[in-house]
This record gives sequence, structure tokens and C-alpha cells, in this order.
Amino acid sequence: MIAFRYALAALMVVLGFTIIVRMLAMGLHFEELTGLVLGGAMIGLGLHRISLLRRIGEKR
Amino acid sequence: MTSTTVVASKAPELRRSVTPWGSFSWGYSDVGADIFVGLGLVLAAAAGASNVAFLFAGLVYVCIGLAYTELAATYPVAGGGQYFVMRGLGDFFGFVAGWAVLLDFTIDVTLFAWTCVDYLSQLIPVFVGSTHPWTHFTVVLLLIVGLAVLNIIGVRESTNFNGFVSGLDVVSELSILMLGFLFAFSPHILVSNMTHHWPTTYQLMLGISYAIISFVGLESISQAAEETQRPASIIPRTSIALILTILIFALAYSHLALGMRPWHPIFDDHGHPMQFWQIFPNNGDNQGKAVALLAAQIPYFGAIAALYVPILGAVLLLISSNSGVFGSSRIAYAMSSNDLLPSIFKRVHPKFRTPVISIVTFCSIAVLELVFAALPSLFPGARQTYAWLFRGESGLDFLADLYAFGAATSYSFVFLALIALRMKDPFSPRKFKIPLNVPMTYRDEKIEFPIVGVVGFIGIFAILIFTLLTHPIGRVAGPLWVVTGIVLYFFYRRHRGLPVFKSQTHDWRTAQVQILKHAGELELMDECIANNKAADERRAAREAVTK
Repeated sequence: MIAFRYALAALMVVLGFTIIVRMLAMGLHFEELTGLVLGGAMIGLGLHRISLLRRIGEKR
Repeated sequence: MTSTTVVASKAPELRRSVTPWGSFSWGYSDVGADIFVGLGLVLAAAAGASNVAFLFAGLVYVCIGLAYTELAATYPVAGGGQYFVMRGLGDFFGFVAGWAVLLDFTIDVTLFAWTCVDYLSQLIPVFVGSTHPWTHFTVVLLLIVGLAVLNIIGVRESTNFNGFVSGLDVVSELSILMLGFLFAFSPHILVSNMTHHWPTTYQLMLGISYAIISFVGLESISQAAEETQRPASIIPRTSIALILTILIFALAYSHLALGMRPWHPIFDDHGHPMQFWQIFPNNGDNQGKAVALLAAQIPYFGAIAALYVPILGAVLLLISSNSGVFGSSRIAYAMSSNDLLPSIFKRVHPKFRTPVISIVTFCSIAVLELVFAALPSLFPGARQTYAWLFRGESGLDFLADLYAFGAATSYSFVFLALIALRMKDPFSPRKFKIPLNVPMTYRDEKIEFPIVGVVGFIGIFAILIFTLLTHPIGRVAGPLWVVTGIVLYFFYRRHRGLPVFKSQTHDWRTAQVQILKHAGELELMDECIANNKAADERRAAREAVTK
């Protein structure tokens, strides 16, 4: 179960990076800003989940 | 005058059995369903700026979520916003906030039952509202009555069931988004839509006011606090994950919808190709099942998603509708216990031990709202009247109008309560504190003034203004609901010989110690007692110097 949760968190980070890279390829204008925020939030949540899971793993 | 705090009563107490995942899934099953309702409405209103509307509302929602997290972890009692506002601003404003939350819960019952049927209509065409209005109306009515009966006889979905559905939904939504962004998303289409279909300021305000309904349901955080083990530790952890998950889903769906290259090309009545988001304006049927329509347009995966997403969405929406029935009776019970509503609302059924009067009353209001929302589709004559009076708003628009009004009103008060409680009650230990605070002195005590509280209040108040400006029904029916409540409150408090605009005497200090003891937060309880004692000593020393 914990491996599955790791995989979901890692996928979220990868998806966040994918969105940021694809939006940055369009340039840096207002229209891309919301996509960058979304990508950043996804990476943030993914990393937050990974750090929580690591803490759970250490406790076990 | 005697103390009238909830905890002082000897009513049966709730068992603290909710785990961290249970706490997350409780909130998720309530707030997570909102995007199923909000996405279509926002795409129809804000067009090419839908993602910006979600971003604005989402940032305000993060502030709201942080405020609820701090307050629920500090005061882990059921009652939520109504309790925080009563404690921070007094009985009268506590009533107004609670009354606005009650409006939201009754709308919640109808709106989510309505969209539950909309999602099912994707698989069962006879449920489509525009072509079979009477069938749609009857099924929604039966769902509301059914939920009321289940709640009266005391049947509730279990935490395990909530956890299962929430887990399934998180995986499903992540799959939709992953595959959607990988195979159906084009940044060029997104930028093109944002550039060429940017809405007017009026439409953008309308879109933002609809976007906030994608984030309603944070009451569940505080509702869960009452039943969570070690709430001061668990609530902040689960709340932050919940807040970020919901924010990301809302932003991701709006980006995907605007930048989507549909699997099957979509054409208008004249055979011209359309963008995916263009199927939503002026189409209430599509607005009510936006996530299912989006999922079905993802290449290959859409073939499977078209079959299961409507069912998953309908189940999640039905759980959310049920939380409206359950939540309204619980809030009414809490308000009644605090002499904000007549004691009839805390009367329980002798056999089933459930608040039957509350459930019947608020479900009846939900049915009235359903009738009002369905009238234009049921009777063509009514449609003309609505078109004349309310610019032809649909039933879904009417429900969403009131939902946005109730949420914006109650959240505005919660921000004020957060600020007031930081000033009036710096002694209650706060295991989680919103970041960005300014240290200052208030009544000779050191406090931390929350900047996020001010920013959040400005944001949600702006959304309240947008709601009043852009929702023809909401700006009439919403304030009318509040005024009706105030009139009832006035007569009730006069009848009971209680102050109307002033508060009764509450022994909040004793109440807080009892709350923490009941929550099992014994270290925090000791800290609270020590803080109170130290504050008393400082006050005594100051008075001695003055004399």
C-alpha cells in the first residue's frame, strides 16, 4: 500500500514537471502563469506526500 | 446568568474514532465532490479565463482552509464556523454565520442530488433534465426524501465507505488528469482560448463566484475534529493535504478543459468544429456533468471512463448531498444548544435517537428550493416569468447562486472570528498557527495578528460582492434568507428573555479546558490552564500597580 502511495506522489511530481516544461516551452506570458502555478502546486503536494511517507516509513 | 456552553451539557458525546485517513476522506467526500458541480458552471461563465477564476477562488480557499485548520485544531468541537464566530464575535453574529451555513447545507442537499441525477443521465438518457424534466425532478425529489428517511432512522455511510469512495475517486481523478495532460492537452489550445475567448469583467466576476462553490465544505474539517483522535495533531496534517489536493484538482481540470484536444471532434448545430469548453455555455445538461464529459474525451481511456466516471461522480455527489442532510441537523442542534435556535431543533426521536425535527425542517426547505429551481423546466409559463425576473437563470444556476452566497457570507465571518479570537483568546494553545503574523500588544497581552486572515477576508468579501452583483436570484434570495433568520432570532430571543444583539455570559475558559480534556489533548489542556493562570497573575499585578 505504501509503495502505491509513493507511486501516486511520484506521479504527481512528474506530472507537475511535465506541465511546467510544456508551459515554459510556450514562453513566459500571463497565459502561461496559471499553468506554472498548477505545476508548482503539483510538485509541492507530491514532495509533501513523499516526505510524509518517508516519516511513516522511518517510524515503522 | 448561567453558563450555556455546549460542553457543559450532559448530552451524549461523540466517539473519537476517526483516524488520519478517515479525517481526510471525510473532508474529501464533501469538498471533493464540488468540482463535479463547479467545473461546468465556471466554464460556461468565465470561458477562456476559467482557470484564472479557479486560481483566484483557489487562493482565497487556501486562506479559508488555513483559517479552518487553525480554528478546528484549537477548538475541536462540532459546530464549525458557527461556533468559532459565536466565540469570537458573540451570539448574534454566531447566529448569522450559522444561519448562512444552514442555507448552504440545505442547498447542498438539493444541488448535489440534482447533479447526481445529471451524472447518471450520462448513462441513463431518460434522466436528462431538458428532455425529461418531470423524470429528473421526481428522481431528485426521491433522493432527497430517501436521504431524509435514512438520516431519521439513523443509517449513515460508514467512515470506511467514505474512505473507500474517496480513495477510488482520488485514483480516478489522478488517472483522468495524468492521461489527459499526457495525451489530450495542448498548451497552444490553452493559450489560444485564453487569448481569444477572454471574458468580460462581468463574466469573470460571475465565474469567480461560481468557482468558490468548488471549494465549499470546509465545515467538514471542524465537524471531523469533534470525532478525530488527537485532533490538534491530526487535523492540521490532514487538512493541508486536503486543501492542496482540492486546489490542484480544480486548477488541473480547468486547464485541461481549456487546453483539450477532444478525442472525438465536436461540432455545433451548423457543423463548425468547437472547442471542448464551448459545449457548456447555455447548456444546463452539460454543465451538470462536466467531469464525466471531460473524462470521456481522453483518447482510449475515455472509452472506459465514459462508463465508470458518471457512476463514481454520482456516488460521491450523493455522499455530499447526505452530508448536507446530516450537517444541517447537526448545526441546528449545536445552535439550539447555544440558545440561538428554539430547543425544538435538538429534540430527538424517542426510538431512533436522531434530531428528527431538524432533519424534516431542513429537508423540507431543500425540497422547496428544488421546486423553485425546477419550475422553469417543468412549466413553460414559469420559464417566461423567470426570464423576465432573473434573466432566464436555469435551476442549476439558482442553486449555485445561493450556494455561493451562503459560503461567501459564512466564510467572511469566519475570517473576522479568526482575527477576533487571536486578539481575545491568546491563551488557548494553538498547535497549528497560520503563517505570516505580526506581533503586537492588545489589552496589555502579547498577540499575533494574522495577515492571512485580513487577505482572506478581503478575498472572500470581494467574492461576496461579485455574487451580489452577478447573481440575479442570489442577490435577492440570499439576503432574504438572512433577514428572515434575523427576524426569527429576534422574536425567539425576546420570547426567551435573552439579549438580542448582546451575548449571554459564557465561561469560555472552563469550556476550553473541557474541550481539550474531551479531545484527549492533555498536554494542551495543561498548557491552557498554565496560560490562564499566568494571565490572571499578570492582571492582578497590573491592578495592584494601578491601585
